[in-house]
Formats: sequence, structure tokens, C-alpha cells
Amino acid sequence: MTGMTAPRRKTRKPIDGWRWAGRIFLFFLLLFTLVPMIWMVLTSVKSQFAAMQYPPQWWPAEPTLANYRKLLDPTNPVGHDFLIYFWNSLYVSVATTILGVAVAVPAAYAFSRFRFPGRTFLFFAVLLRNMFPAVVFLMPLFLLMRWMGLVGSHYSLILTYLTFGLPLSIWLLKGFYDNIPIQLEQAARIDGATRFQAFILIVLPLSTPGIIATAIFSFIGAWNEYVYAATFINNKERLTLPVGIQRFFSEYATDWPGLMAATFLMSVPVVVLFLVLQKYFVRALTEGAVKS
Amino acid sequence: MAQVSLHNVFKMYGTVRAVDDVSFTVEDGEFVALVGPSGCGKTTTLNLIAGLIPISGGDIYIGDRLVNDLDPKDRDIAMVFQNYALYPNKSVFKNLAFPLQMRKLAKADIEAKVREAARLLDITALLDRKPRELSGGQQQRVALGRALVRDPRAFLMDEPLSNLDAKLRVQMRSELKRFHQDLNATVIYVTHDQLEAVTMADKMAVMNGGVLQQYAAPAEVFGNPVNTFVASFVGSPAMSLVPLEVQTRGTQTVLISPDGWEIALSDANARKARKATSPKVVLGARHSTISLHKSPEPGAVPSRVYTVEPTGDITFVQVHLAGAIVVISLDPQFPVRPDEQVWLSFDQSKLHLFDGETEQALSPD
Repeated sequence: MTGMTAPRRKTRKPIDGWRWAGRIFLFFLLLFTLVPMIWMVLTSVKSQFAAMQYPPQWWPAEPTLANYRKLLDPTNPVGHDFLIYFWNSLYVSVATTILGVAVAVPAAYAFSRFRFPGRTFLFFAVLLRNMFPAVVFLMPLFLLMRWMGLVGSHYSLILTYLTFGLPLSIWLLKGFYDNIPIQLEQAARIDGATRFQAFILIVLPLSTPGIIATAIFSFIGAWNEYVYAATFINNKERLTLPVGIQRFFSEYATDWPGLMAATFLMSVPVVVLFLVLQKYFVRALTEGAVKS
Repeated sequence: MAQVSLHNVFKMYGTVRAVDDVSFTVEDGEFVALVGPSGCGKTTTLNLIAGLIPISGGDIYIGDRLVNDLDPKDRDIAMVFQNYALYPNKSVFKNLAFPLQMRKLAKADIEAKVREAARLLDITALLDRKPRELSGGQQQRVALGRALVRDPRAFLMDEPLSNLDAKLRVQMRSELKRFHQDLNATVIYVTHDQLEAVTMADKMAVMNGGVLQQYAAPAEVFGNPVNTFVASFVGSPAMSLVPLEVQTRGTQTVLISPDGWEIALSDANARKARKATSPKVVLGARHSTISLHKSPEPGAVPSRVYTVEPTGDITFVQVHLAGAIVVISLDPQFPVRPDEQVWLSFDQSKLHLFDGETEQALSPD
């Protein structure tokens, strides 16, 4: 045994060096990601006065939830606006997600299973949108929305977010369907199912993780989007959160704790979604990477 | 159970004939093996019978019903897939129940039939498990159970044993055969393993290049292969094929080798050889019908030993003969070494002769 461990220790030394370098790198990356969020939370529970102090109060001396109470109180003018923005964002994001999944699932299945003329061309065509920065489409889409009379309505945003989210959703889901053996559907059809039943009863349940992942992608994309929301929506009652919070920033410029509390509340749905569904999410991203 | 018959069935992929004018009839209760090398069209033929791919031409009957345009679900057949295709998110019970649910049977009926199938296959203890919690052999049984749970008109099996390890394969082979006998089921069984076909099937359909080569009982296919392909595909080791030239000298017909030696043919074989479309004739002989001598004998032809392969109770010796390799089986005690000079003689009554041009077997009349 000793004869075996001695040379092994030798070969492991350089690997340990790299491992430590990796850990240090990850530590700084974590710091880089977490510090702004921690600062956001800490600031949100400070009083207005404490937030403006210099040198900064690292730990709030008198933590208060007053900012959250204000934001979540519909009778307060600030809270009233915030809750409307929140609701608008939720409406747009959920609608985008549901429509996105409803279109992506059959599209991905068709790309995966059917051979039709123009299949390869169409499949790469759906990716074309993602080859350009989103801003490039701002003006053309604005003109298009105005022509359709949708400027100022939530439909303009839902439509836009769909065109952004669908390509990725279709690609992701197609990978999922490619990995489901076609024999499962064949077996179902021989067992007495129609092609549609085989899809609904056998294939769809197996692709749940993929559907959840695409749903998260669509939701986050819509929830965080700023540029289009700022351009298409001119009515204060219809603003979504990213734009709405930016308005806070200009209107209540000095209210840092209030702003931070609003930002924190905005991140809650996304974080909750991630925590609940993360195991599906990771599986979906690695699905199809390695042939099982 | 029902008869299954194919009449001039074609399947085209573009201009490629994946299945080329195939006709055969599987009688009610018969076990038929579709065999051939990979890409010969045997799985495509099975999928055509199942209705999983549309046929390009011809007719398929299951019972007396023309099924050309019927959906798989309406053909009332069951299929066992090579990868079993068990529904991974359903328990074994639900896997077995699925075909019955699709046919809208009452819950109590489903329960009874599933339990009966499970008892038959000895998988009752596994009913609550998911497929991934089963061994390969157990998955195989569940796949079989899902096929026989609903008493279909025919069973289609696509290499069901090829994913099992060698020992389990032999065991499942005899179980499948037993199951066929007990249920008197019509079975169409695809395999690339000619040994599986020979041991299990009532008839075998040998396919190559989308074309049905021979359709007969295994003994007939083994004893009278219709062409050089069937001769070399069925039997292990394969029949040895030696390309020679036929020559008639007065009353005697001989086969001449480029190496200079010749074999005088018996009357029956001479009549066969004279039917050839050209002087080219292929001599075919099974390993057990060739004798090996260590010294020259009358009628024996000279050759040289290539390899010696002991397998236990039989030793196979490969020798070079007229540019081909000939396999001979010997008693393990027989002393023979590689590169040794030996002489071979052929049992004329068990000799096969094939036309060198058409590759078809030659018959005496």
C-alpha cells in the first residue's frame, strides 16, 4: 500500500495548487455577486438618515421595516404605484411564459420528430433573432407595434418578449425531445394511443423538466426587461417594474432605503422560482450535452 | 391470434428500396424469424406490419383484414422493442395497464388482467417499481408482459434479447419459445442472430438488401440454402464457399482449381454443375461434411492449415483452398498444427453447388 500512495501524492500536488487557485477565484466571484445584494438588503432596512451617513453604517443601527410597509400599503401613494407596477410585471411575465410554452412545446416536438421541407432552414431561422443585439429591433418593432395600434398596451411587450424568448425555448425543448426514444411513442401507438395521445400521455410528462426550464427562462426574460418596456409603454398605469423603479429613482432621488426595498421585492419572485425549480433547471441545461 | 400475410410489399426511401417486393405468410400460431445482417430491411418490414411507417406498395393482411392504411392502434398487434420502450414515468403496473386503459376496459378487468400477466411472467413482486429500478432481464419481462396483457392478434418482436447478457439471453430464449407454445401465439421475431432464429422459429425469412432470400423451416434453410448469401449467413461456422471452374471430359465432370488440382463430381453433382450459366461454379460444404487427412488420399485435394481453434468438444481448423478459407470440424484429439500440409475430401452427397454468376443454388433437374 505504501508503495502505491507515495507516487500518488506526488502527482496530486500540482492539482491541489490549481484547486486552491480555483477556490480563491470562486470566492472572489461569490463576493462580487453577493456584496451588492447584501448591501441592497442592508440599506433597505435602514432609516433615510442612516443610509446617507458617511462613513457608511456597515450594519444598520436601528433596523426598520418601514420601507417595506410603505411599499406594500395600497393606501400609500408610493405603495399604490409600486403594487400596480408589480402587478403589471407579473401579468406580462406570466402571459409571456404561458404563451411561450404553448408555442415552444409543439414547435420543438415538430422539429425533433417530423421531417418536413425547410426543416433545417426554419430551425436556424428561429435563431436569427438572437444573433443581433436586442436594441437593433427597437425602432422596427416600435413602428410595427404602432402600425398594429399596440403601443402603450401590454400586448406589445408580450409579443416582443415572445419573439426574444421563443428561439431559446424551442432549442432547449428540442434537445429534450431528441433524448426521448421514439420507441416510447411507437409503443404507445401500438398499445392503442393515437399519435396525439402518445404525445400528451407519454412524451409530455417526460419533458416536464424541459418545460419548467423554458418557463423560467421566459419568465425571467420578461420580468427583467427594461429597454422595450421603457419605449413601448407611455402610460404610468401600465408601467412594469424595471421602468417603474427607475421612475422612483428620479422622483424620490434621495430615498435610497425605499428604492432598495423595492428592488429587493422585485427580486423575490425570481429567487423563489429558482429555489423551487432549480433541480429541473440544472438538469435541463445539461440535458443532451452527453449522450446517455 | 391470426394469420399475417405480406403481398409484394415495398418500402422506398427516395429511390432506395429498403423493402423490395417482399411476400410471405405467417400462419396462425406460427413463430417466424426475420433474419439478416444489419440494414437488410428486417426491422423496416416489422415496422411496416406494425404500421409505424407507411408502406410504399403492396398489401399487408392481419387475419383477413387489409391493414395498409390502418393506424398501429387499430391493427390489434403487440410489439416488444429492442430497448423495451417501457414508460419510464409509470410503475410496472401502470406500464402493463396502459394498453388496457387505452382500450377503455373496466378498472376491475384491468386489475385482473395485469395480475394474470404478472403471474405468468413472475413479476408480481415488481408491480410497484419504476422501470429504472429493474434489471435488464426484469425490464425484458415487463416489456413482454405489456405485449401479452391484452391478447393481440400477433406479436411483433424487434431483437428483444439483444440487450441481455449472453447467459440471460439463452434463458429468455427458451422462455420465449415456451411462451409461444403455451399461448399458441403468432409471433414475428426480428433478429440478426441466425442462431436465435434457428433455435426458436418454425420458419425463418432470410433477408438481404431489402429482398427476401428464402422463406422456409430452419432445417430446410440450413440444408438447402437457395443461394450463396443464405449459405454463408445461416449456420455457425458458416458454410465454406470455394470458387472453382467446371469442365466436362467425356463422361466425367470435374471442378478445377486455379492451384491445379481437381475434384471429380458424382453423377448427381455433375448434372447440377452442367446447369451453371458459365463455367464458374461455387462449391459449398459444411464443416462436418469435409474430412481432413494428413497424407494424400485418392480424391482428396491438397491444402495448408491456416489456424486451429479449439472450442472444447470440437476443434475448428481453417485451411486455405483455392483462395478461399475452408472450415473443418475435428475431434480435439486430432493432431494438426498451423502451416501443416493436409488433404481434404468432400462428402459428395452433402456437397452444395452454386452458379458462380447468379449465386443461385444449382439443382440436378
